[in-house]
Amino acid sequence: MSRKHDEWGWMLAADFFFAGLGGAMLAIAGIADLFLGDAQTSVLGNFAGAIFIAIGAGLLILELGRPFQAFRVFMNPKSILTFGAWNMTFAIIAGLLFASFGITILPWSGFILVRKFLAAFCVIFGLVVATYPGVLLARHKARPFWNGPGIMVLFFLSSFITGMAGHILSGYVIGESSWFIAEGYIVSSFSSLVLQDLPHLTAIMLLFQLIFWAGYIWIKRSGGTEREAEAAQRWVNGDLSASFQLGFILLGTIVPIVLLLFTTPAIHSVGACLAILGGAIMRYLVVRAGEDRTWLPGEQKYRSRLPVGDEEFLKVWK
Amino acid sequence: MARYAMVIDTRRCIGCQSCTVACKVHNELPVDMIYNPVTTVGPTGVFPNLHMVHIPLLCMHCENTPCVDACPTGASLRREDGIVWIDEKKCVGCKACVMACPYGARIFNQEKGIVQKCDFCLDRVEKGNIPRCVQSCHQKARIFGDLDDPNSEVAKLKNSHHTVRLLDELGSKPSVFYIYGLEARMK
Repeated sequence: MSRKHDEWGWMLAADFFFAGLGGAMLAIAGIADLFLGDAQTSVLGNFAGAIFIAIGAGLLILELGRPFQAFRVFMNPKSILTFGAWNMTFAIIAGLLFASFGITILPWSGFILVRKFLAAFCVIFGLVVATYPGVLLARHKARPFWNGPGIMVLFFLSSFITGMAGHILSGYVIGESSWFIAEGYIVSSFSSLVLQDLPHLTAIMLLFQLIFWAGYIWIKRSGGTEREAEAAQRWVNGDLSASFQLGFILLGTIVPIVLLLFTTPAIHSVGACLAILGGAIMRYLVVRAGEDRTWLPGEQKYRSRLPVGDEEFLKVWK
Repeated sequence: MARYAMVIDTRRCIGCQSCTVACKVHNELPVDMIYNPVTTVGPTGVFPNLHMVHIPLLCMHCENTPCVDACPTGASLRREDGIVWIDEKKCVGCKACVMACPYGARIFNQEKGIVQKCDFCLDRVEKGNIPRCVQSCHQKARIFGDLDDPNSEVAKLKNSHHTVRLLDELGSKPSVFYIYGLEARMK
């Protein structure tokens, strides 16, 4: 029996990842523009924020059972998914418009007040988009690993780490394509203090992430219910432990911390790539952890007896 | 307005799964989908005092519905009579309700691309009939009716026996009540 019947697939994890990455990139770009001045983040990074959210929305649509009916997800204002869908839409529009101000040949690029308004919208919608997946998961009462506000904080933190890493990477790529900037088409961010300081700030946030995750797993292991402790055990020495410890903690957190403490932009960009990879691995593992539900009496034994790997047979049978 | 509920007397259930089969046939479900599984707890205890309980599971038709709140399309609905159902035309198969349901009562139908669940055989109830699983239970372990009618069997059983609701601590207030003969051994 396929697991598709009762759980989300990898595309939803990818949606959470891209939404977090893109939302945080927009929020960072907006905050930098509002409080620190023009061209603090690269034009590529500003565009990438909106595009990443759009990619996430696309993956969310593909995850649906009826993708061509996707417009219906905007219908129920009480649902947090509807709230997220509307905010993703607004964030994509605000992000693309805001980023377009960095292209100097466009006639509206000089309208500073409009740009500031768009930057404020980017901050608001970006923050919501970066946070809502965590809120969505935290409200699942019968999913012991997700339930509680902790997962929201971890998602928010990871979103900002990947967002900062995204801007580091975009700044590096733009720096390598300086001939384009020299032509005068886009606003230069070479002298940006934000981009210069981001690697160290990202390293500090990664350290916070390491501490928060250790605390989260520890609390869950000694948590309120037996099921919560069992769910956390999967991350310590269960089926998720190798990916969590080697993929997320070592490769996606500790190694980037070290690399981001160097002073070479090329090494920073490698560290940023690894931090982004860590964010993607984390989202995938957290969505996988949703398999753990508080069992009803006898349900675990019942489910363990259901056939596994008979998808091909069922396809032929139909 | 009626307030539909079901009482399941686990002292009577023998785990024959006829309700599971009747439901599957009535709702024309694919091979790999079940609305009404019957789980078994036990045997527990020490010989010769061994005990086993069968627990039919289904949608609990909760009063506080996490699934309805989670549905972004408005396809999941709760009627005034307490029946929670899915408007299949509106469902896009996002599985938000599947994940939100604490009872695992919602299943994604891969053929149709939508989520489906037990609706207390809404088509039958609207015609004044009882759900198919209740009709097929030869042990009379499933009792269906209007909780607001003091003369109904469900109301009498609920008021005269110690009934429990599954995962009641989550606050979803299910409309399915269980009479456990052996509740002390269920844990």
